[in-house]
Amino acid sequence: MNKKRMMFIRMIAASLVRRRSRMIIALLSIVVGGTILSGLGMIYYDVPRQMSSQFRSYGANIIITPSKDSFIEDDDLLSGLSFFPQEELEGYTPYRYENTSVHNMPVTLAGIDFDSVQKTSPYWRINGGRPTSDGEALVGAKVAERLGISAGDDISAVNSFEVTDDMDISKIPDYEMYTSPDTGEQFCDHELSLKVTGILQTGGSEEEYIYVSLSDVADLALTDRGYDIVEVSVAATQDRLSSYIETINSNVFNISAKLVKRVTASESTVLTKLQSLVFIVTAVVLVLTMICVATTMTAVIAERRREIGLRKALGAYNSSIVGQFLTEGLVLGAIGGILGSILGYVFAQIVSQNVFGSSIMFRPVLIPITIAASVLVTGIACLIPIKSAVEVDPALVLKGE
Amino acid sequence: MFFRMVRGTFRRQWKKMLMIAVTVALGASIATAMLNVMLGVGDKINAELKAYGSNITVVPQSEAVISKLYEVDDEVRPDYLKEERLNELLTIFWANNITDFAPVTETSVKLDNDDVKLVGSWFDHHLEFVKKGTTYQRDTGIINLRSWWDLKNGEWLDEQAISSGDCCMVGSELAKAKNISAGDEITVKNENNAVTLKVTGIYEAGDDEDNYIYTTLSTVQKLTNTDGLFQKAEVSAITSPDDELAVKAAKNPSLLTGDEYDLWYCTAYVSSICFQIQEAIPEASATAVLKIADSEGKILEKTELLMSLITLMSLIGATLGISNLVTSGVMERSQELALLKAVGAKNGQVTGLVLTETIMTAILGTVGGYFLGYAFAQVIGHTVFSSSIDMNGMVAFIVSVLIVAVTLVGSIPAIRIVLRLRPSEVLHGGH
Amino acid sequence: MSLLELKNISKIYGGLKALDNVSLRIEKGEWIAIMGPSGSGKSTMMNIVGALDKPTSGEVIFDGRDISKESNKRLTELHRDKIGLVFQQFHLINYLNAVENVMVAQYYHSMPDEKEALEALERVGLAERARHLPSQLSGGEQQRVCIARALINSPELILADEPTGNLDEANENIVLEIFRQLHKEGTSLIVVTHDPEVGEEAQRIVRLEHGKVISDQKNELFKG
Repeated sequence: MNKKRMMFIRMIAASLVRRRSRMIIALLSIVVGGTILSGLGMIYYDVPRQMSSQFRSYGANIIITPSKDSFIEDDDLLSGLSFFPQEELEGYTPYRYENTSVHNMPVTLAGIDFDSVQKTSPYWRINGGRPTSDGEALVGAKVAERLGISAGDDISAVNSFEVTDDMDISKIPDYEMYTSPDTGEQFCDHELSLKVTGILQTGGSEEEYIYVSLSDVADLALTDRGYDIVEVSVAATQDRLSSYIETINSNVFNISAKLVKRVTASESTVLTKLQSLVFIVTAVVLVLTMICVATTMTAVIAERRREIGLRKALGAYNSSIVGQFLTEGLVLGAIGGILGSILGYVFAQIVSQNVFGSSIMFRPVLIPITIAASVLVTGIACLIPIKSAVEVDPALVLKGE
Repeated sequence: MFFRMVRGTFRRQWKKMLMIAVTVALGASIATAMLNVMLGVGDKINAELKAYGSNITVVPQSEAVISKLYEVDDEVRPDYLKEERLNELLTIFWANNITDFAPVTETSVKLDNDDVKLVGSWFDHHLEFVKKGTTYQRDTGIINLRSWWDLKNGEWLDEQAISSGDCCMVGSELAKAKNISAGDEITVKNENNAVTLKVTGIYEAGDDEDNYIYTTLSTVQKLTNTDGLFQKAEVSAITSPDDELAVKAAKNPSLLTGDEYDLWYCTAYVSSICFQIQEAIPEASATAVLKIADSEGKILEKTELLMSLITLMSLIGATLGISNLVTSGVMERSQELALLKAVGAKNGQVTGLVLTETIMTAILGTVGGYFLGYAFAQVIGHTVFSSSIDMNGMVAFIVSVLIVAVTLVGSIPAIRIVLRLRPSEVLHGGH
Repeated sequence: MSLLELKNISKIYGGLKALDNVSLRIEKGEWIAIMGPSGSGKSTMMNIVGALDKPTSGEVIFDGRDISKESNKRLTELHRDKIGLVFQQFHLINYLNAVENVMVAQYYHSMPDEKEALEALERVGLAERARHLPSQLSGGEQQRVCIARALINSPELILADEPTGNLDEANENIVLEIFRQLHKEGTSLIVVTHDPEVGEEAQRIVRLEHGKVISDQKNELFKG
C-alpha cells in the first residue's frame, strides 16, 4: 500500500483511538441518533402487526355464513379457513342455533366450542365457571334474569316436534309423547338436562342465548347438520382481510365470508393514527438528534482549530485537511450507525416485549438505512464546521497565546 | 468578582454558551413535546376508538325492580324510557366525556308483506334545554355512532332539514333485495298504522343492520304509539382503562372504602360513568358493552405504554445530547479554567463558576425549549389527530427539574476534568 | 544571491502599524536573531518571513522570487518546501506520538518515511522517546520533536519563534546546541527572541522597536 495512504489511515486511527474521550462523546450522540432511527423505525413498521393482534380483543372481524339457504359444512369451512395464513388466524368459532324452550319459555340455544370462543370473543365475562364438558351450559345474563336462573342450577331444554309416520322415536333416549287435544297430532318432547356453570355478561345481544356444546345441540335437535354462522378472528389489516375474503368467496362456493366493517374500519383508522403518530414522533426526535450531532461535531472540530492551523503551516492544502477530518467523521458515523442499529433493535425489542409481550420483527433493511443516514448526517455535520475552520489563518491560530 | 467572571464568560464565550443553550433548548423541546403527547395520547386515541360505536347502553330497569322501588307512573310503559330524560346525560359529572348518544326504538314492520326491522333514532338531533339556570346544548345522533357505515348512494338523513314527511335510510342488502334506491318512497305498516317514507340514502354497515331500515325516532313513535318514549339508548363515552379498583367497583360500588369510592367516582371508568347515569336516570339501567369497553381499555393501555417507552427513549437521547455538550463545552475551556487555578482559584471556586455558568445557560435554553416543544406538540397533534394537544402544567415542572438534573450530571465529567487539571501542564502543553 | 530580501515592508492591522517600512536582507547559511520587546513587530515579521502572512505593502523576495503577491496556495507550497517552523508552544498534534508528529510534515511535503523520521528524532536525541505522546514528554522534549519536524524536509530556512520561551536552562542549551549544529551544516536560521542569551548565540542581531529596525549588527560574541 502507498505510504501516504498508510500515514493517512494511521493519523485517522490515532485520532479516533487516542482522543478516545472526545470521540466517545461525539460517537454517543451519533449512536443515540442511530438508535432512535432504527428503533423507532422498527416499531413504526411493526405497530400495525402488533396492534392488530391487540385489536383482536374486539372479537371476530370476519363472519362466514352459508351462501345459500343451507348450512356450513366442515369441509367447506376448512377449505375456506385454509386461505388465511396460519400465523394470522387467531381463532374461529362455529355457531349452531336451535330454538328450544326452557321453563316453558322460548329460548335460543347456541352450540359452540367453549375453547375456541375464548379466541373469538375474549371480552366475555362469566360469573361462575366456563362449561368444560357436554351437559353443561352457559346462560346469557338476560335469559338468566328473565327465567330466574343462576349459576349451579339444573335446567332442562325441551325440543318439541311433531311425530310423523316415518320417525322411529324409540331411538330417542329421553322423550315424552303427547297428543294435541285439538288436532289429534302426535307430539314428542325431547329433553336435554343441563347444568348451568355460569352466567354470561357482555352488555350485548349475546346475553339473549344459552350456550352449550355442539354435540349437545345435535343431541337435542336429533339431527346432525352444519353450522349457521362461523366467527373468525384474523390478525391482519383491513386491506389484507378484504383480499382473503375475495379469495375465499371466489374459491369456496358454499360459504360466503364477510368483513365485520364495524370492527375493521375502526381498527384501520386507529392504526393509521397510531402509525403516523410514531412516524412524526420519529421525525421530530430525529431532526432534533441531528441538530445535536451537528452541534457536537461543531464543538469537536472547533477545539481542533489549532491543529488545523498547524497542518496548514506544515503545508497541507485545505482539501487534504477537509478530506482527513471528513473521513474521521464518516468513520465515526459508520461506527455510530452500526452500534445504533444494534441498540435500536434491542430498544425496539424491549418496547415490544413490554408493550405487546411478543418479539419484534427484525427488519434487515433498516440497518443499511441507519448506517447510511448516520454517515450522511455526520458527514454534513462535519463538513460545515470544517469548511469554515480551514479558512482560518494559520498565523493567527499559531501566534503564541 | 464572581459574577463579573460569570458575566465575562458570557461575553467572551457567548458562541459556546449559545451552543449549550441551543442544545439544552432542543433537549427541553423534545422532552416537552413528548411528555405532552404522551399525556394527551390517551384522550386522542380514545376519541378515535369512538369509531367502534357506543360502549354503554341504557335500558329500562326491569319491570319488577321498578314496581318494587318506585311509584310506577301508569303512563310509562315499563319497557320504555322517556326521551326527555336523556337530557340528564348532559348534566352528570362526566358529561364532557360523553361524546355521543342516541335513543333507539326497534320495531317490526311489513314491507311488501315481508317482515323488516325498522329502527328509529336520532340522526343529527339538536338538544337544547335550560336546567338550574344553565343552558345545555348538544348535537348528537346515530350518524356519529355508526361511523363505519358507508353511504352507497343518496345522502345521510338530515333530521334538522326535514320540513315535512318522513324519511329513512335503507340497509344495502335490503335495498338490493327490494330494488330500492335513494329518492324512492316506501310504505311500511304494522297492525295499527302505516307510514310512507322517503329514502334519502342507502348505507352499507357490514353486519345485520344491512337488512334494516333506519328512520327518525319520531316516525317510529308515531307508528308504534309511543310518543316521547324509546326502548334503549346507545352512549359513547371516553373512558379510562379498567384497573383493579374498577374491577372491584364493577362488582359492587358499596363495597369500596370511602377513599376508594371517591377515586373511583372521579375517574372516568366505564363503570363509574354507568353508575352516574343510573343516578341521574334512576328508572334506567346503564351497562357497559364489554366488547367495546374491554378492547378500548386494552388498546389504550398499550398505546400509552408504547408512547411512554418512546418518550423515555427520547428523554434519554435528549439527556445524552445535553450532557455531551456540557462536557465538551467545559473541556474546551480547560485552558481558561487552568489559568484560574494557576492564579490561585480553589477547586470549589472553579467548580462553582462552571456550574453557575452552565446552569444559567441551561435555564435560558429550557425556557426557549419549552416554547419550541409546545410548537412541536401542536405540530404532532394537528398532523396526526387534527386537533391541538393540551399543555399539561406538570410538564413544565418535570422538564425544568429534568434539565437541571441533566445539566448537573452532564457537568460531572467536566468538573472531574477541572479538578484534575494541573495548571502548568495545560498552559505549557500546547493544546 | 541572498536567500531572502524584505524591501520596504509595512504591515497594518486595523489602524495599527505592526511593521513600518522595514528592509532586511538575509544571506544563505546565515544565523540571525530578531530581538525586541513585545509589541515591537517580531511576530509579524516572523509570519511574513515564514510566508504565513502577506505584507500590506513592500516586496518579499525569497530565492529570487517576489512572494508578496503570490496566491495562498503557492505560499503554502513555499513554506512547506523551503521553511521549517519551530514554535514557542511546540504545536504538536496531541494524539500523534513523536515520530508520527514528524511524519505529518513528511506527509504534506512528499512521502512519509518512518525510518527517516526516526533518524530526525535521533538527531535531536529523542530516539528512545519516539513512541511517546506529547503529553508524556517534557517541554524540552516536545520542543525537540518540534525541531525534528522542522528539519525533516531539509528546509533551506529554519524559522524559530521564541523556541526557548517555555524551556528551562538545561533544555534551552540542548536546543541551542542543535541550532549550532544546523548552522554548521549550512542551514539558514532566523530566531525570534527577546532573550538576550539566545539572541547572542546568533551571527547577526536585528533589533526591532515600534515596527522599525533600530539596529542591525554583526554579533561580536558569535562563536561559530
